[in-house]
Amino acid sequence: MSCVFAGSFFNFVLAKTIIKDYSVSEAVIEIKNLNKHFKDIKAVNDLSFNVYKGDVFGFLGPNGAGKSTTIRMLLTLISPDSGSIKIFGKDLVKHRLEILRNTGAIIEKPDFYGYLTAYKNLEILGSISGHEIPKNRIMEVLELVGLEKRFKSKVKTFSHGMKQRLGLAQSLLHNPELIILDEPTTGLDPQGMKEIRDLILMLSKEQHKTILLSSHLLNEVEITANRMIIINKGNAKVEGDVRELLFAGKLNVKVDVGNPEDLNRIVTESRWGSFLDSKSNSTFIFNLETKEIPELNRFMVSNNIEVLSIVPTRSLEEYFLSITEKGA
Amino acid sequence: MKKVIYLIILLFTAAMAQIKDPDIILNNVKKASERVKDYQANVRIKLDIPFIKAPDSDAKIYFKAPDKMHIESKTFALLPKEGMDFSPAALLKGNYTAIYVKEEMIDGIKASVVKVIPNNEKSEVILSTLWIDQKTSTIRKVETTAKVNGTFVIELKYDGKNQYNLPSNLVFTFNADRISLPKAFSDNNTEGAKKKEIKSRQGRVYITYTNYIINKGISDSIFEKKK
Amino acid sequence: MFTLIRIELFKIFSKWRTYIGFIAIAALIPLIEIAMLIQKERTFDWITRSMGQSFIFVGNFLNTYFVSYLIINSIALHIPFLITLVAGDLLAGEATAGTYRMLLTRPVSRFKVVTSKFAAGLIYANMLVFWLALISMGLGYILFGTGELIVSKSAQIIIFERTDVIWRFVLAYGYAALCMCVVTSVAFFFSSLVENAIGPIITTMAIIIVFLIISAIDIDFFQKLKPFLFTSYMLNWQSFFDSPVDIDSIIKAVLVLAGHIAVLYTATLLIFKRKDILT
Repeated sequence: MSCVFAGSFFNFVLAKTIIKDYSVSEAVIEIKNLNKHFKDIKAVNDLSFNVYKGDVFGFLGPNGAGKSTTIRMLLTLISPDSGSIKIFGKDLVKHRLEILRNTGAIIEKPDFYGYLTAYKNLEILGSISGHEIPKNRIMEVLELVGLEKRFKSKVKTFSHGMKQRLGLAQSLLHNPELIILDEPTTGLDPQGMKEIRDLILMLSKEQHKTILLSSHLLNEVEITANRMIIINKGNAKVEGDVRELLFAGKLNVKVDVGNPEDLNRIVTESRWGSFLDSKSNSTFIFNLETKEIPELNRFMVSNNIEVLSIVPTRSLEEYFLSITEKGA
Repeated sequence: MKKVIYLIILLFTAAMAQIKDPDIILNNVKKASERVKDYQANVRIKLDIPFIKAPDSDAKIYFKAPDKMHIESKTFALLPKEGMDFSPAALLKGNYTAIYVKEEMIDGIKASVVKVIPNNEKSEVILSTLWIDQKTSTIRKVETTAKVNGTFVIELKYDGKNQYNLPSNLVFTFNADRISLPKAFSDNNTEGAKKKEIKSRQGRVYITYTNYIINKGISDSIFEKKK
Repeated sequence: MFTLIRIELFKIFSKWRTYIGFIAIAALIPLIEIAMLIQKERTFDWITRSMGQSFIFVGNFLNTYFVSYLIINSIALHIPFLITLVAGDLLAGEATAGTYRMLLTRPVSRFKVVTSKFAAGLIYANMLVFWLALISMGLGYILFGTGELIVSKSAQIIIFERTDVIWRFVLAYGYAALCMCVVTSVAFFFSSLVENAIGPIITTMAIIIVFLIISAIDIDFFQKLKPFLFTSYMLNWQSFFDSPVDIDSIIKAVLVLAGHIAVLYTATLLIFKRKDILT
């Protein structure tokens, strides 16, 4: 009998529970009871969550969930109706300038002064920040995003993907501690996406940046984020460690066996038949809770089933859809 | 003896008596003015016209008999057309009928008043009245009524500094009613402008003549119009 | 703040539309002056026709001062349209380009962003008027030299000595620049309300036209409104060419115009500080 377990651990997780006991003093972003409405539409409804130092925090939700509104409130582009936002332990309203000096961001599609060069755009944005950014720093961030050869080109000649890279460059210009990225890989090719993902991981692991990442590309968040929140209709649905949330509740457990006919027979005759989701040739997919996996394994082994592999999986996409459709 | 005394008194009276023949009076004036072949003089012009505001200006006048006149200025000059050539030749142009009117005191000087009516119906001037000082054969005042420009008065003063009895001052008085203002160049909405009104209908130009250079010769080229 | 103003000026002068005003003036004024040069004395037909029968005019009246006066008189009410092209784009242009997000997430207060843009707009307006003065008087001096200035007002003709002219033009152009600052303020205000520069440009132009029409109609109600319309004061630069200069009316006009600028700037600032940036 051989079993292969993928996934990291089988801790019992409840939705909406923060697993690790992060002390509040390590929180980089603290959002409490945030509310915002536009005319009759409640865009953000009593939203609360924290982002801790060193997190790559996935900020997920379907279209219209309130992600962009929340991000804009974090960056003072929009004023909340009520609630509080603290960044670096300081009230955002009272310490706006100090906080923004240490924050870089891309919000949706980054737009620049098309009639100016990439270099000039970054130089201007740096100057507005209150200090002249040295030329080598500008070139450094351009190189980081792969635009060093186009620094003299006017931005209006850039493709969407290049503008996206430039957006990332401007967010890193002043070496901020907190980076807020809203759809950073939109418009990039697979190579570009990988490069941005690697960059995010590098910034997090090597430079210990705190990153708030909002993306529709769920597999990207799954790879890069360690914590996440899913919101829908302005409300928080789940928040916590990515792996823990993914492996909480029922999983799709893929079982490969050497004698599929035998397994098929015993499964249908037993209670395990109700857990069977689908089968194909020698692969059976069961919908089980974590604790039921070893039970199934014992059942199969005791019934002389040649177990080749047991792989519990849940994709973030599946999880996301389960949460948001539930909410819908 | 008595006869001699009577003769002396008669001759004296005759000598003192003014001539009353207007043609003779005017001819005497013409003869006196013919001594001036040409002159140039500096003029200072002061305007007292209700609808014109201008600072005093300086110009130079050139005259060559019988009727050539040229005015030039380093800055500017605004001068009445009618008053510039006060020579008898200009005032007594063409055929005319002269009528002696009376004697009148003007500026403490006894002047003979002579009316001059041009015979030519097409003449611009309808009637001119001249106050003539027979002692010096100079014109002291002219009042002219013209078809287009209406009535204007020229008063001449003499300081006696030149032997040719050219005037030292000239005052030109005219009726401002006849002169139409050009269309306002600026759309003047300002309140100050609206308050202004023409209080007086008379306009005056005061011209002071100095530094006469008389009969020294003036080239004709000065009078050629500059293109 | 100076850095921000410098950046805003750089952005303004990096756009082609900024140069429309300068090019228009540079093309139009030489055209006018050369036409005057060609027709020379006929330029003064307007005065000699009526007064030429009674007066002799001696002097160089066709000079740079007369020509410049004529020009500023002719185009004073058209220059505002060139101002709105830039002023209307100052804030709305950022919204159109989507650069608000980039700009307002920098560690700089909205007060500084608005003020620096406003200052840059005012500088542009003043530069345009200065350009007008330079081209008019500079080229006029080359073509016509100097002389006395003859000005025809509704009740009289005024002749100014050449030594008594320059200070009047300096103040007149300065006043014209103040008027253009008001136009800038109006366009800037509307620019803060919308996300497209076309709106504020057209709205400002429409307001100027409507106000001018209201001022011109001789109805009691409109005449009562007139003192409150900034366009009623836009021609007061002509007061510097009165003798004597009506200081009181000029001071009143300056205060009214300055008041407009202050109110519009303050309103823009208040609106912008509270504005939710959704673009």
